Amino acid sequence: MTMNRREAIQRASLVLGYALAGPAIAGVLNGCKAAPELGYKPVFFTEDQAATISELAEVIIPKTKTPGAKDAGVPRFIDQMLKEIYKKEEQDEFLKGLTAFESDAQNEYGNSFFECSPEQRIAFVKKHHDAAYSKGVDGGSSGWWNAGSGGEKPFILKVKELTLLGFFTSEPGATQVLQYKQVPGPFQGCVPLAEVGKTWAT
Amino acid sequence: MNINIDAEKENTYDAIVVGTGISGGWAAKELTEKGLKTLVLERGRPVQHVVDYPTMTKDPWQFENAGRLTPEDEKKLYVQSRTKWIGQDTKHWWVNDLENPYTEVKPFDWIRGYHEGGRSITWGKQTYRWSPMDFEANAKDGVGVDWPIRYNDMAPWYDYVETFIGVSGRAEGLPQLPDGKFLPEMEMNCVEEVFRDKVAEKFGRKITIGRVAHLTASLPHDPSRGICQSRNMCGRGCPYGAYFSSNASTLPAARKTGNMTLRQHSIVHSIIYDEKKGKAIGVKVLDAETKQEIDFFAKIIFLNASTLGSTFILLNSISNRFPNGLGNGSDQLGRNLMDHQYRTGAEAEVEGFDDKYYIGRRPNGIYIPRFRNIGNDKTTDFIRGYGYQGSGSRDGWSRGIAEMSFGEELKESLTTPGAWKLGITGFGECLPYSDNRVTINKDKKDVYGLPTLSVDAEWKENEKAMRKDMREKAAEMLEASGFKNVNMYDAPNNIGLGIHEMGTARMGKEAKTSVLNKWNQVHEAPNVFVTDGAAMASSACQNPSLTYMALTARAADHAVNELKKGNL
Repeated sequence: MTMNRREAIQRASLVLGYALAGPAIAGVLNGCKAAPELGYKPVFFTEDQAATISELAEVIIPKTKTPGAKDAGVPRFIDQMLKEIYKKEEQDEFLKGLTAFESDAQNEYGNSFFECSPEQRIAFVKKHHDAAYSKGVDGGSSGWWNAGSGGEKPFILKVKELTLLGFFTSEPGATQVLQYKQVPGPFQGCVPLAEVGKTWAT
Repeated sequence: MNINIDAEKENTYDAIVVGTGISGGWAAKELTEKGLKTLVLERGRPVQHVVDYPTMTKDPWQFENAGRLTPEDEKKLYVQSRTKWIGQDTKHWWVNDLENPYTEVKPFDWIRGYHEGGRSITWGKQTYRWSPMDFEANAKDGVGVDWPIRYNDMAPWYDYVETFIGVSGRAEGLPQLPDGKFLPEMEMNCVEEVFRDKVAEKFGRKITIGRVAHLTASLPHDPSRGICQSRNMCGRGCPYGAYFSSNASTLPAARKTGNMTLRQHSIVHSIIYDEKKGKAIGVKVLDAETKQEIDFFAKIIFLNASTLGSTFILLNSISNRFPNGLGNGSDQLGRNLMDHQYRTGAEAEVEGFDDKYYIGRRPNGIYIPRFRNIGNDKTTDFIRGYGYQGSGSRDGWSRGIAEMSFGEELKESLTTPGAWKLGITGFGECLPYSDNRVTINKDKKDVYGLPTLSVDAEWKENEKAMRKDMREKAAEMLEASGFKNVNMYDAPNNIGLGIHEMGTARMGKEAKTSVLNKWNQVHEAPNVFVTDGAAMASSACQNPSLTYMALTARAADHAVNELKKGNL
C-alpha cells in the first residue's frame, strides 16, 4: 500500500507537530538560555531562532576537512533571505515551522534545538528529514516529494534548500567543496571525469 | 524665424534610425558606412560596451541573496519576471513595468529592454537562416499574405551579416535549414552525441550543434572582439565581446565612420508627415530627461524600435492623410501579431557515462531542425512545424535538496556530479491571424503621458495541435534513444514569452493588404523603412534575429541606392 497525497501531508503535519504550534510554546522559546555566539547580528530572527537555524544548517552541511555551513556564512544568508526575499505569508509559514520544530525538540529533549548535544541534533534532524521523505511500503519515497510537491513544504526541507543554496553559492562552498571557474575557456564537451575532478558549482 | 530655420537645419540629417537594438544597430552601421549623416535615437540610457556592464565579472557569492529578486524588484518587473530567469545579475536590462504599462486584453508577456543596445545584450544568440520553404509557406497554404521576397533575395544578405557578426555552427546540407558562413562549431557533450546518433539511426533526422552568434575564432575585420570563454554569463554583457550585440559590434562600426550622432533618452513617439510634400519628413522626440519635445528631420527614416515599439510609433503618427496611423491604409498595422511557442518538450536520464564530464558552461545547446510537414512527413493535425533546442548535462548540487541524505554523507556525495539528463523544448511556428492584434490606447498613459498599447492575442487551434505534437515527438525520440525516465513537460506559455513577437506591420506585394513593400518601405510612405520584427509576414520556427539583421542590411542598401537616384 502506498500513502496517497492527503495521507502524506497529514502524516507530515503530525510529525511536525503543527497541532502544538502557537502561543502555547511561545513561553518555552522565550525562557531559553542565552544563545551561543552567532557571529552576526540577525535582522529577521530572534537570537534564539537564529541559534537554532545556525545549528540546523551546520547539521545539514557540517564542517569536515572542508568548510561547513557556518564557515560559509549560511546562517546569516538564511536570516537575510527571510527578511529580504520571502513574502509575508512565506515568512509566517517559515516561523510557524520553526516554532513547531523547536516545540518538538523541547518535547523530546527538554531543550531548545541549539542547546541539544551534537548527537541529539543529528538524531533529531534525521527524524524530521526522514519524515519528509518517509518511505512507503513499496520502497519508494512517499513523503512530501512523492505527494507531488503539493501542500506546504516541510520546514526541514525549506531549511535544507536554503542551506544548500547559501552554501554552494558561497565562496568556500563553490571553490573548496565543489569547483568553480569564472573563465573556463573554450568548451570541452566530453572529458574523463577523473581529469575534471569535482562537481562544478555552476 | 531665422532661429527656427537654424534649429531645423541643426536638427536635420540624411537619415534617422529609431532604436539601437539588433536591427537598429545594423541600420546605423550600414547607413553611416554608406556615407549618410545619421541620427540614431535611443529611448533609454547610454550603454557603453564593457564599461556599462556592472555585473559582468561578478562571482555567485558577490550577489546578495543568491542573486534572487526581492518582492520589490518583482513588483517593478511584474511582467518581465514572468520569464523566470531575471535575477540581480541582469535586472537592469529589463523595463520597469510600472512605468511602461500596456493592456493585456488576453495574457501577453511583453519582455523589453529600454537602453542602448536593447535586447541585443540579452538575446539568446541562436542564429538560423530561414529556408526557401519558409518564404513560400504563406502562398502555398493560402495563409496571411505571400512574402514579397524569396530565399534567393535574402541569401547574399545572410552571407553578409553572418560574416560580420560571427556565427559558429556546422554545415549540414539541409534544405529546411540552409547552411551559412560558419566559424568552427562548438562541441557536443557525450550524451548529446549519443542522442544525435540514435535519432539519425532511428528516424533519419539530423541533430546539429546550435548555430550561435558567439565567436569560436577571431574575426579578421574586428579584432576588438574575443573568443567565447564559456562563462555563460552572456546576459550581463560580455567583457570579451564574444557574442554579437549592437554595443560590441555594429554601433562601434557606425561610430568609426564619423557619420553617426547617437542621442539617448530620446523617445520617438511619432513620425512627422508633411501633407503638402506628401511625405514623412522627420520624427518627434520626447526627451526622457528634460521632457522637452524636439523635432528631427531627415530624408529617410528607419524604424527599428522593436516590433511593438515601431508599430506604436506608426499607430501614433496621425495626420489628415493617415487618420489611423501612418501607412495604415490596409488596416493591417497592428494585426497579425505572432511569436514562437515553446516550454514544452521532454527530458530523460541517460545512463552509461558516469566517468565523463565537461569543462565550461557552453552558452549553446543542440538543435533539431524542423522535420514535420517536410518531404514524406505529413500530419493532418496542423500545418507548418517546429524545431527543438535542448542540451545534456549532469546534475549539480541542487539535486541534494531531493536526496535522502544530509550532513557529511550528503556533502561528500555532492562533490561528484549526478546523473546525466537530456532535455529538449520545441519552438513552434505561429500563424498570422488578423485578430491577434495591438491597438493604441489613448486612455491609459505611461509616465511620459504618452498613449499605450493594448494587446489582444492568443494561440489558436493550429498552435495548440502543434504544441501537443512537440511534446509527444520529443518523448518519442528520447525513448527511442534508450534513455530512462522520459518525462514530458508543458509549462505555461503566454504568447509573447518566446520574445519573438513579430508581424504587426507585415511585408507584402500589395498596399491594400500589407504595410511594407519588398524593400521594407512603408507602401504609402516610401522613405519610411521598418526593418525589425514588425515586418514579418510569417514566423517560421527558427529564431528570427538573423533575418531581421539581413532584412535591415538589404533595406539600407536599397534606401541609399534610391536616395542617390533621387527617388526618395
